[in-house]
Amino acid sequence: MTETATEPIPVPKEPPRRGFVTGFLAVVCGGIAGLVPAGAGVTFFLDPLRKRKSSGEGDASGFIKVAALSAVPADGLPVKFPVIADRQDAWNLFPKEPIGAVYLRKTDKGEVIAFNVICPHLGCAVDYSNSSKSFKCPCHDSSFTLDGAPSNSIPPRGMDTLEVDPARLKQGEVWVKFENFRTGEAHKVPKV
Amino acid sequence: MHGLLNWLDARTGYRTLMHEALYERVPGGARWRYVWGSTLVYTFSVQLITGFFLWTAYSPSAQTAWESVYYIQEVMQAGWLVRGIHHFTAQAMIVLMALHLMQVIIDGAYKAPREINFWLGLVLMQIVLGLSLTGYLLPWDQKGYWATQVATNIMGITPGVGVEVQKLASGGNSYGHATLTRFFALHAGLLPALLIGFLALHIYVFRRHGITVPDPKRAPDTTFWPDQVLKDAVACLAVLATVLALTLWKGAELTAPADPSEQFSAARPEWYFLFLFQFLKYFKGTMEVVGAIYIPGAVMLVLVLMPILGRSKIGHRFNVFFMFAVLVAAGALTFIAIREDQQDPNYAAAVTDAEVQAHRVKELAQSPQGIGVAGAIELLRNDPKTQGAKLFAKNCAVCHRYDGKDGTGKPVEELVGDKLVPAVATATDLGKFGSREWVSGVLKDFKKHFEPTTHARFDGQEVKDRFTAGSMAEWSESNAKEMKPEDLAAIVEFIVDQSGVANPPTNPDLVAKGKKFFSDGSEEVQESCATCHKLQPRGEMKALGSGSGAPELTGYGSAEWLDSFISNPGDKRHYGKKNAMPGFADRLSRQDRKLLIDWMQHKWYEPAAKKGQ
Repeated sequence: MTETATEPIPVPKEPPRRGFVTGFLAVVCGGIAGLVPAGAGVTFFLDPLRKRKSSGEGDASGFIKVAALSAVPADGLPVKFPVIADRQDAWNLFPKEPIGAVYLRKTDKGEVIAFNVICPHLGCAVDYSNSSKSFKCPCHDSSFTLDGAPSNSIPPRGMDTLEVDPARLKQGEVWVKFENFRTGEAHKVPKV
Repeated sequence: MHGLLNWLDARTGYRTLMHEALYERVPGGARWRYVWGSTLVYTFSVQLITGFFLWTAYSPSAQTAWESVYYIQEVMQAGWLVRGIHHFTAQAMIVLMALHLMQVIIDGAYKAPREINFWLGLVLMQIVLGLSLTGYLLPWDQKGYWATQVATNIMGITPGVGVEVQKLASGGNSYGHATLTRFFALHAGLLPALLIGFLALHIYVFRRHGITVPDPKRAPDTTFWPDQVLKDAVACLAVLATVLALTLWKGAELTAPADPSEQFSAARPEWYFLFLFQFLKYFKGTMEVVGAIYIPGAVMLVLVLMPILGRSKIGHRFNVFFMFAVLVAAGALTFIAIREDQQDPNYAAAVTDAEVQAHRVKELAQSPQGIGVAGAIELLRNDPKTQGAKLFAKNCAVCHRYDGKDGTGKPVEELVGDKLVPAVATATDLGKFGSREWVSGVLKDFKKHFEPTTHARFDGQEVKDRFTAGSMAEWSESNAKEMKPEDLAAIVEFIVDQSGVANPPTNPDLVAKGKKFFSDGSEEVQESCATCHKLQPRGEMKALGSGSGAPELTGYGSAEWLDSFISNPGDKRHYGKKNAMPGFADRLSRQDRKLLIDWMQHKWYEPAAKKGQ
């Protein structure tokens, strides 16, 4: 059988002191109870900010074999080569996949210069135009000379050069230390 | 500041809302028995939070579910913590639901005008159970996969619509991608939304009626805030502490990746369904539908009718009694289920097996080869350490032994009458095959080594002393004790060298001495090996001996030799007419033979710390 409520109890305007302590403890307990799972979740969510060791692309110093020296034309014009390496995507390891591309060209001094094809403006792949003997980006018209220097004011810096292993170059192989850089910045900063 | 709040209140009326929420009257004072509803709201919120964060990393497909959960658990920072909280809070919700229901029934809080609220609560209970069921499958591990199969099979025996319901739940005729996507949509989408909706109704209706106490004078009336809120908060903290303790002590489990072809005898539902699992054991054959659908359905029906039954005093007493009876019965069944499993050596072995597999697959996932596109299940399927042992147990342990056992560490037994007794071996023990110890044993006491073959039958004939009284046995008996120890060491080294995988690697000088012994014998051993055996040493062009009526020993113990031998032991290269072993060229695929041979040669991945095999 039900009972109906009697006269409503007036709620005090100022909380009594006992009420304050109770309220304070309630907030503390409830706060801990709520913040622990939320904190765990946020920590977990921030996992991509954690620096992870490189997924082992290339050899011990990070160089990957890109081409034989004989494949780079003697006339100093650039040719695009894919960069093949193992790729780790979260839990999956993809062996021997294209992870990017480079332009290789012989300089007058007989060295080989390597450019990452990614445009430093906003990240598209830069084309090479044989008719104008220059690099042109199809997205926003960034333009670069054969030395990678910008030839208009669209890109913030020149094309990103990559380190070429001199010892192996002498043996007729072009090994490149492949890495990607942040776009939109005046200086070349690796994307880590 | 005060002015700003006034401005906000004039536009939103938040102060009235807060007042409504916080200053609910609690006649008879705040009580611990009222906390359960709040703890359920709390645990549901925890599940929403941790569930969302898990959602940012979980991938629901048959190739990526286990892999993403593994990645969360083992690689991502705090992943183990978020998953652990999610897993154990789910279990806590079941306990809290039971406590809440008990309090409501005992206090008669289902009586008018609260009938609708009670039914809303029962609906919420079904949703929470549905969340548990759908969540259990998502890691797509062996345990979740096989346990959920049982649940959908039970759905399948529902009279009338069972078959269709099962197909809709499974996304087809069997489990696969579609099962996961459906279960995930239910688990993360529909069921939480329904729960929030029904919870809102439940709280609205509850607040509408307030609390009615049998004895309002037991304590002074108070308000929800802060007195009841404090009790609720303390209870929530206690639940959290328990969840964290379980996470740190046990951690959420992840068994091996789901494999439809791999028996999982350790499959059990979560503990809160063990009573139903045990209950169903008593309903055999077509009676299963009674135990799985009709009786649980009847219990639910009584629950639904409680508000009506409870109108009278005796009806209320019946309800309380019924509740306790069901709890006691469920508790007893749970206890019996656990005890039966504890006393079952097969179950214990299956659990150990499951743990070994789970550990091994994680080892392989962390190896340099990593997890490929086909998923982690391929890691175990291609692992010689796992598969070789199983292949040996299935194909070879009929006759052979491996260190006295069946290759997986279990004894080989056979059914005599209705008892399991150790089976007699009818072929040699291959535990140390190819090692120096093995070769030494063969040479020094051939008869003892081949003793098991005397119990064998082959091709309709008893083998008897075909090997134990043959020419090699004779040679062994007359020459072994005469041989100089250094000659024995040398010939053993030479034979072991032929495999190319000797461990530790062979000593070239000793091998050369052994080669000489093979061809020419010694002062003590006039009858050299080459008298009967042909052997083309590894890396050389010329063969020693001419091979007349004895197995050719070229490449002995190598992968190529093992493949040839296992495929066709009756070939003239091997035992020829004397053969007593079946050939496996047709019985084992190339892939399986490779796994078996790699296993016999101990060629499998071991993590760096353990290397040294």
